[in-house]
Amino acid sequence: MSEAQTTREAPPASTPGHVGESVVRPDGIPKVTGEFIYSSDLWAEGMLWGATLRSPHPRANIWSIDTSTAESMPGVHAVLTHEDVPGRKMYGLEVPDQPVLAWEDVRYQGEAVALVAADHPETARRAVEKIAVDYDVLEPLTDSEEAMSECAPKIHPSGNLLRHVRIRHGDIETAKADVVVEGEYEIGMQDQAFLGPESGLAVPDGRGGVDLYISTQWLHVDRDQLAASLDLTPEQVRLTLSGVGGAFGAREDLSMQVHACLLALHTGRPVKMIYGREESFFGHVHRHPAKMRYEHGATKEGELVYVKARLVLDGGAYASSSTAVCSNAACFACGPYEVPNALIDSYVVYTNNPPCGAMRGFGAVQACFAYESQMDKVADALGMDPVELRTKNAFETGSEIPTGQKVTGPVPVAELLERVTDMPMPEEESPMGRDLRELPGGVSNVTHGEGVKRGVGYAVGFKNIAYSEGFDDYSTARVRLSISAEGPLVEVHTAAAEVGQGLVTVQAQIARTELGVEQVVVLPADTSVGSSGSSSASRQTWMTGGAVKAVCEAVRQSVLGKVREDIEDTPGDLRLEGGNVVSRDGGILIGLDELLGDESIEETREFRHKETEPLDADGQGDAHVTFAFAAHRAVVEADTELGLVRVVEIATAQDVGKALNPQAVEGQIEGGIAQGLGLALMEEIQTEEGKVHNASFTDYLIPTILDMPPVKAEVLELGDPDSPYGLKGVGEPPTISSTPAIVSALRDATEQELSRVPVSPDQIVGIAKKPPERPPQPGSRSPEYPTTTTIQPEE
Amino acid sequence: MPVPPAELTAEFAMETSPEGEKSPREQIEAGREAAGASGLAQETGPESTALAGSRAEVLEALPQVIEAALDAGARGVKVRIEVPTEARQQT
Repeated sequence: MSEAQTTREAPPASTPGHVGESVVRPDGIPKVTGEFIYSSDLWAEGMLWGATLRSPHPRANIWSIDTSTAESMPGVHAVLTHEDVPGRKMYGLEVPDQPVLAWEDVRYQGEAVALVAADHPETARRAVEKIAVDYDVLEPLTDSEEAMSECAPKIHPSGNLLRHVRIRHGDIETAKADVVVEGEYEIGMQDQAFLGPESGLAVPDGRGGVDLYISTQWLHVDRDQLAASLDLTPEQVRLTLSGVGGAFGAREDLSMQVHACLLALHTGRPVKMIYGREESFFGHVHRHPAKMRYEHGATKEGELVYVKARLVLDGGAYASSSTAVCSNAACFACGPYEVPNALIDSYVVYTNNPPCGAMRGFGAVQACFAYESQMDKVADALGMDPVELRTKNAFETGSEIPTGQKVTGPVPVAELLERVTDMPMPEEESPMGRDLRELPGGVSNVTHGEGVKRGVGYAVGFKNIAYSEGFDDYSTARVRLSISAEGPLVEVHTAAAEVGQGLVTVQAQIARTELGVEQVVVLPADTSVGSSGSSSASRQTWMTGGAVKAVCEAVRQSVLGKVREDIEDTPGDLRLEGGNVVSRDGGILIGLDELLGDESIEETREFRHKETEPLDADGQGDAHVTFAFAAHRAVVEADTELGLVRVVEIATAQDVGKALNPQAVEGQIEGGIAQGLGLALMEEIQTEEGKVHNASFTDYLIPTILDMPPVKAEVLELGDPDSPYGLKGVGEPPTISSTPAIVSALRDATEQELSRVPVSPDQIVGIAKKPPERPPQPGSRSPEYPTTTTIQPEE
Repeated sequence: MPVPPAELTAEFAMETSPEGEKSPREQIEAGREAAGASGLAQETGPESTALAGSRAEVLEALPQVIEAALDAGARGVKVRIEVPTEARQQT
């Protein structure tokens, strides 16, 4: 078998730096200059190109698939359908409910139906067009409320309700409030909009197995799903991480992995598959759209008495990680606030919309938009400052989330709010006559300042770190210490996916710090070492960082054990520093090169966080490991005549526990805010009857550098008592509360209700159509949930 | 993120009869509908469906699926019962 050109070459030793120092990422400059090797750049001798036939219909029965014309085309090596899937015909992260290739039904536009391998990508594309599929097109089910109705068509055998998380906390029946505020909120379908579309190279090993070079977030969960569908053992399916262009949750599910492997095993040739941008929109899951109905009760002094919330998430056609997203939305439905009584129902349903799953913030984003909008409404109803209301109800150490779980460790909600409030406000010059670039609409020259109003808004958000609900969450690391020609060398090997977050750098920093060796190489991630879990849930620095720290400690113990074996009367307190074994007074006892010579020390360790437990029938239980918090203040200017917006500045404060690489932390904070801004103002996959209208970066808008405001960030390092170095996950909190802060600022500027994101210009100028009133569908309302507005008169 | 692993799965494939009162497709659908009513059903292939859940739930629902298929004219039902060796991996 020919040798694939991959990223297997050992990377150069990473930029020196220890824990707590800003270290330059090795992939940063190559990505900017276009020299970075993505998985789409892979090549192998004799390689074929794979392509996918996708359903143009959101819901249809398949009567027949005729591949004969495509098979007869010159240059076509294989045309495969579901009949060619040798093993499990379904896959899925939580529920194996998605066909590798559809056989009888298609449930969303873009569902994979057949595959082609050809000697040229254009031949493959043309062959796909020659596959004749006879569809019986059905009316799609696209409304999540309707999907919960008893009379709705069943999209899957057991119905459309995928999960209902029910939380009952305190005694909602006897809770008495002076002020009651209701609200309905909606979030559109956001795309992860990563840089590099799905791609990979499958290479058959000639012995029935396959090697896959792939962009993914979790190598081992891909491998296990691949082995099941290919009818191979896990050992016969080997994955190596290749250059990843971002993920944000969109690479947790399989996309082209199993298709490329099927084609490679069928043809006996390497097969490469690359999605273009349009196909990518159909090739991965998105953020769940949500409809949320809230009721908050508070005393006239501003203490929250109760929260009732009903959240309905649209999971689309397949489960992906919807059940966990549904749980997160429920657990965080009240925000980081003391709420003694809560009644929460969170639902996720199947529809014929595009499948939804993991995306940065994972359920917490949807809930945060609703509860922070409600906090502003409560403050308004009470005539209270919105920050004061938040501070009055802010979580402290020992507070309980509605699941009854106490929040341990530092819980600086009030401090974060105080910090963003105390940061100096950006100067406010008159909009009249300003440089156009500093006005909403910019150089489109739509206003010279007339109609422009400024607003300020605040929001706080929180989220769990790592996996929850009893999952056995662990990461594995292997470290080898040896002596190279340049001196002591540490090689770190994990399966953790570097998806652009800077994990490679952090692993090297930890190894350097723990073993006192400057020359550190982080080996390519692959499945020849144990699982590291996914690069998601803001967990990877904690979990794989923890594994690297643990294994380095084991290596250090082995080194010191050897010192004690080899050298008589060694002092008790030894450490490794500068490539030497050093005593407490700093004296060099022996160099590692002299101690080890030709020997090497290799250890492997697994790292686990503390155990969590599933939620019970009332949604009670210590389901989460820990929580991370961030606060945002947004200053915006809106053209109230045209509905255009300029975000002037975002101020933020976030507790990161410990900044292992401060520059990377800053990058995560700014990047997360950009994604939150996108959701607030522009990012939405537009669907109509299940069909996507804007599967391109021309029509799906993401913030550019012209949309992104300056960010003032204060990073707190309060130290989590249970984590390595006290660190906390950093990646998700910036995305969670930046969206409601921006919308709150827009409400301040425009005095419009703005109950849906992304906020559209017609909402800003007050001409948006309200959603049509619909009667409750049978089974769609919790009987415990009131459907009328009840503002209590003040006593 | 976790979903409690199924304690038991029962995958069943209908052996349809072309001479039955109902068409082969209807025979398959009858089994599927009975499986769907249990709330435990997962589609696993063109002619097969699985029940996945707690041991008690699966064993309680299984006879109803078989009965429904036979009543619809199926010649037989192949059943494969399995205790998953490890929790399904979740994110």
